[in-house]
Amino acid sequence: MAKEECKALLDALNRVTACYRHMVLSVGGTADSQNLREELKQTRQKAHDLAVANRNKLTAALKDKNVSKEDKAEFERLWVIFSTCLEILETDMKRALELGLEFPLNVPKKHLIQTGMSGGTAGVAARAMSVQNMKYEAERNIDEVDLKDLEQEIHKVGEMMYEMEMKVNVPQWTVEAKQDPGAELKSTTSAGASSGGFVSIEERKGFCDISKLLAAIVFSAVLILAVILAVCVVKLS
Amino acid sequence: MTINALHQGGSYKVQMPCLSKMERVIVGMQDPDMGVKMRNQRLLITVIPHAMTGSDIVEWLIQKFSISEEESLHLGNLIVKHGYIYPLKDPQCLVLRADDSPYRFQTPYFWMSTKWPAAELDYAIYLAKKNIRKQGDLIEHEKDYYNQLHKKINHTWDFVVMQAREQLRAAKQRRKGDRIVIECQEQAYWLVNRPPPGVLNVMEQGPERGNCYTTRVQMTKNMDFYKREIEYCKKAMGRTRVKSSICLEAYLKFNDQYMPHDPIMSGCLPSNPWITDDTDYWSMNAPTVTTPTKLRVERWAFNFGELLGDPLGHIQFMEFLKKEFSAENLSFWEACEDLRYGEQSKIAESVDSVYQQFLAPGATRWVNIDSKTMEKTLEGIRRPHRYVMDDAQMHIYMLMKKDSYPRFLKSDMYKTLLAEAVIPPETKKRVFPFMRKQRHSSPSPALLLPSEQDPKGEDKNKALASAAGGGEG
Repeated sequence: MAKEECKALLDALNRVTACYRHMVLSVGGTADSQNLREELKQTRQKAHDLAVANRNKLTAALKDKNVSKEDKAEFERLWVIFSTCLEILETDMKRALELGLEFPLNVPKKHLIQTGMSGGTAGVAARAMSVQNMKYEAERNIDEVDLKDLEQEIHKVGEMMYEMEMKVNVPQWTVEAKQDPGAELKSTTSAGASSGGFVSIEERKGFCDISKLLAAIVFSAVLILAVILAVCVVKLS
Repeated sequence: MTINALHQGGSYKVQMPCLSKMERVIVGMQDPDMGVKMRNQRLLITVIPHAMTGSDIVEWLIQKFSISEEESLHLGNLIVKHGYIYPLKDPQCLVLRADDSPYRFQTPYFWMSTKWPAAELDYAIYLAKKNIRKQGDLIEHEKDYYNQLHKKINHTWDFVVMQAREQLRAAKQRRKGDRIVIECQEQAYWLVNRPPPGVLNVMEQGPERGNCYTTRVQMTKNMDFYKREIEYCKKAMGRTRVKSSICLEAYLKFNDQYMPHDPIMSGCLPSNPWITDDTDYWSMNAPTVTTPTKLRVERWAFNFGELLGDPLGHIQFMEFLKKEFSAENLSFWEACEDLRYGEQSKIAESVDSVYQQFLAPGATRWVNIDSKTMEKTLEGIRRPHRYVMDDAQMHIYMLMKKDSYPRFLKSDMYKTLLAEAVIPPETKKRVFPFMRKQRHSSPSPALLLPSEQDPKGEDKNKALASAAGGGEG
């Protein structure tokens, strides 16, 4: 029971970390905007909440004396995954701070790097927050205001990691990965083969989707017309 | 609110100065009015903005910095090699071509940085993502890296797989064009940070560049900076210098004088032992030999140091001084050399004996030193150390050099030595090949013990030689 809950929480944290990194990639580029900074803030807060929840659950599970050997090994494995996830999150937050300082949005003289990205990151943020649509409520200069909060949160995460290392004694090298090299290929769920090839296959697929839909609509319209005509012919003749 | 505060735990890493400068150039290129001209990249139906041609970049650099085309190309190449701009047509080849091949700017997250070096974990995640995308079809060196990382960070491998999947899912939420751009960006980043084998790694810093002092370039020039610069320049001006015309003249003279004596430049008589296996050259130029070669005797006339340095010359000079009744000078000089290079424990004893023999009033071999030096030396003898006699020794050396040495060169003794000196004949090259001396590897030097051993040791030597010979063979 506890294992499943821990796993689910960890998956959520993992998802949020991946989305956060994806968004930090766009800071300083042309996809950067006040919205992005707000998305970063919200994602960060969600990540923090998840991290605290994870930590509490896992520390409780590890401190529990009544777990079996395999369960303990499993919890240790989850713990190692959790601490690595936090490390990545901390690094990304630090970089977000640095990039945010270097590329302020409201200064007209400082130009953003023209990286070729034109779309927004709303979808990614929605995925991170597990909502359908993102709501933007912050003020105009959130990019500056947020940096102070970000700095404090980085300190908090740093402290949390330090505490974790001191209080929980899980030697990292004893954990063995469950996955062999190449394990990611075996997954046939959505992350799999669909994004093979850069341009042509993807494009054609997208293209086909739209055209298929159109073709289907046209076909059904023609069919209905033909049926009506036939009925009319039959009726009138 | 500075980033420095965040580096409390780890070491303070600074961005390499060349990277900061390149970043400023890149930011300068972004200006909508004065920056590089942007075009759109068409890929079938997707249009991705913000592409530039190589020639545009080169032209912009020429205009902005007023440099020549060659320099601009070189600068552009540096920027591309460090990953700030990446090529779109041929991504594996990080070179700036001054034609219409397209390039794009790298996002700041993926800028090359010494503050945030590329981590193994990130590379593992990238490789896992690539593996999924390409269905296991990775390039050779990437496969090697992949397996290596699987072993190295095995404990977090599950996380790597999880994160790789999630990152791909997150990327799906973006527009088509953005997804392509992100893939290109990541690929360019890892091409720079984990170059394929055989490609130059730009981030490789040699051991001498690890000094953080040299990497801390001051971007803002304030008062302190200029004060330090002024002091440095003042010290540099105070250094002693010799005009190159003078030292080059001396250099030429030296070379002219010594060239006939150099066995490599002018050949050596009788023959080069390394070539003909004839060791006559060494035996004729041994330190103590009855008849020295002509070249050797001529060399004694070059300067006083040569004469004293050659053991045979030293002995001859001593003979000459004995005839002139000034041999005590040379003996004193020898005694001082012994003191300088002798054992530490014997110093007090040495100093005392030198004083008694040469410096005390009424000594048997009293040397003539001027009063000032004598006073200083006597003062120093109270606290004897290795170099107390230096001043006196130098005085006597100069005396010999200015006085006795020229007389030696003009003396009959030297002239007879020169006349009797032998010019070794060149080894005859036998006409018939089978008459020539057979080449064979020389016997081990351990067997050729020096012949200046006393007769008592000779038997032992012979015994040793035979034993060694027996052991060798």
